[in-house]
Amino acid sequence: MSTILVYSENPHAAAEMLVAARQLAPSLNASTAALHLGSMSEQDLKAYAAGGAELVYHVDGVDAEKHGPACVAEALANVARNVDAVMVLVAATRLGREVAPRTAQRLKTGYAAECVQLEASSDGLVAYRGVLGGTYQAKLLFKRKPYVVSLQTGRYQPEGSGSQPRVEKVSIEITAPQLELVEIARAESAGVDLEKAELIVSVGRGFKKREDLSMAEELAKVIGAELGCSRPIAGDLKWLPEDRHIGLSGKRVKPKLYLALGISGQVQHLVGIRDSKVVIAVNTDSNAPIMSEADYAVVGDIYKVVPLLTENLKKLLGR
Amino acid sequence: MVDIIVCLKQTVDVNQVRPHPETLEPQLGQAPRKISDFDLNALEEALRIKEKHGGRVVAVCVGHDIQQLLIREALAMGADEAYVVSDPRLEKADGLVTAEVLAALIRKVGRWDLILCGEASLDESAYQTGPRLAEIFNIPHITYAVRVELEDSGVKVWKAMEGGIHVVKASLPAVLAVGLEINTPRLPSLLMIRAASKKPIHEVKLSELGLSEEQLTPAVETLQVKALKVERRRITLEGEPEELAQKLAEILVQEGLVKK
Ligand SMILES: Cc1cc2nc3c(=O)[nH]c(=O)nc-3n(C[C@H](O)[C@H](O)[C@H](O)COP(=O)(O)OP(=O)(O)OC[C@H]3O[C@@H](n4cnc5c(N)ncnc54)[C@H](O)[C@@H]3O)c2cc1C
Ligand SMILES: Nc1ncnc2c1ncn2[C@@H]1O[C@H](COP(=O)(O)O)[C@@H](O)[C@H]1O
Repeated sequence: MSTILVYSENPHAAAEMLVAARQLAPSLNASTAALHLGSMSEQDLKAYAAGGAELVYHVDGVDAEKHGPACVAEALANVARNVDAVMVLVAATRLGREVAPRTAQRLKTGYAAECVQLEASSDGLVAYRGVLGGTYQAKLLFKRKPYVVSLQTGRYQPEGSGSQPRVEKVSIEITAPQLELVEIARAESAGVDLEKAELIVSVGRGFKKREDLSMAEELAKVIGAELGCSRPIAGDLKWLPEDRHIGLSGKRVKPKLYLALGISGQVQHLVGIRDSKVVIAVNTDSNAPIMSEADYAVVGDIYKVVPLLTENLKKLLGR
Repeated sequence: MVDIIVCLKQTVDVNQVRPHPETLEPQLGQAPRKISDFDLNALEEALRIKEKHGGRVVAVCVGHDIQQLLIREALAMGADEAYVVSDPRLEKADGLVTAEVLAALIRKVGRWDLILCGEASLDESAYQTGPRLAEIFNIPHITYAVRVELEDSGVKVWKAMEGGIHVVKASLPAVLAVGLEINTPRLPSLLMIRAASKKPIHEVKLSELGLSEEQLTPAVETLQVKALKVERRRITLEGEPEELAQKLAEILVQEGLVKK
């Protein structure tokens, strides 16, 4: 019997992957196992158990953060070969998106990135993923084994406490090129869970200066919303922390209300707000793409409309 | 002196692709093509490194129907020359085949110290080509590079991860993959555009690359691509700011989106 081998540097993401793997296992006639790199805590083991792992391969000498993705890919590919893996399933974290394709290349096989759904068919594995900026979904068929896949997190629910998995030590000599980690500058992240926010006020490049974001902050405070943004606001401009950027390469949100202020609505942004219940956009340009992807398209200047809106809401809500 | 390879992918402009009204398939033939967004950031970064340290910048591009005009655009920005493989057989290329072809083409270029890629392409957004190339050449790769500094011993890179910026060092040669954060690509001047017409574009045949049938056989096949529909009410509100703010506040309260 072959194996679906699961890896993530984040044990909770690994647990989610294990749930997905166990759903596929019967139709692929495979068992499931997780790979753990570096020291392993009780917490880590609990997370694997929650995902329903029966077996964890443990390679002690490799550390994802310290050695870098090439070394992780080497360990993953080696174990995959040793256990004759039919599939390598990696959580689509930032590191995962570096490790999975490198592993696929090492195994001379195909890779499907950031999938949203997987199915076994009689011809092989079928994977679904977003393409063309995320507004389209592609259905892919793997023609070669092993199947290397990364899967978006937040789609599978680990059930809680499974029984303790068996741990098998594996020793691997690492020869892949290593990185040298100089330092980590931790983000001053508010640790927000935008994915769970009910109301989101989101800002884009329509804001001219960082100080002007206070307009949006004030509005968000009055209605009790979280602040989100387009990628340039967090990325180039660094006005808000990375974990507030929404879209293809950021968070995918599903609030009751998504209020987009000065955001043009390129497809890569829209894909992140697709599951919002109501989308309202305020933009001076009635032809901006977001205006035809909104429930209410407000043609106006944020500098004029937003402060007035905040005042009106304060009155209406008695704040 | 550093010699830099920049990988430029030509893709459809995804903002201009419209789905077929019935089949919902993307009407790719009707949308204009462009250089994938982040690849221009990769090119810009290569040019900045060259300006500082000297060397040469070579653009490489493979695909089933490469447009010369878009290659000239890269040369006008400042790339010294380009190597291109354009072959209909690559229409069905997956990430594996693309990486094998690119690597073989890069071997033809000769000496190089760095490969710069976009972190993800506009159409596929797979984040796979940079890491795959690095694996083929057995060299380090760093994705999400937001700042790059060349040092005597290699390259120092600021890499944006979930928890913050990781500062890492790698030896050369290496592959770096960048996004829109790293710089703002320059617009070529008229002078540069004119100069570009004299720069060499090397057309290399797929058959000249010495790739095996296995290396050219995709491991993943696309069975179907369909638009994901979202229905929105698309109500437009126009007027004076006071009216708009009034109306909007009422809507928010009436629809129960905000609570007292
Ligand atoms: C592979 C890839 C992945 C990407 N991933 C993401 C992602 O995850 N998230 C993301 O957001 N982007 C992403 N992008 C970038 C995306 O393509 C756009 O560049 C970005 O979303 C634009 O941000 P913006 O709307 O803030 O800025 P702009 O496009 O510059 O839009 C600013 C808008 O503000 C309006 N405006 C200006 N002044 C005012 C005013 N006074 N009042 C009202 N409106 C005003 C303008 O009309 C305009 O519509 C990605 C790109 C690529 C290629
Ligand atoms: N056909 C191609 N020709 C040249 N470069 C490519 C090609 N495909 C991908 N790349 C490079 O690899 C990056 C990542 O692409 P992808 O792996 O498709 O997300 C792109 O931004 C390009 O720099």
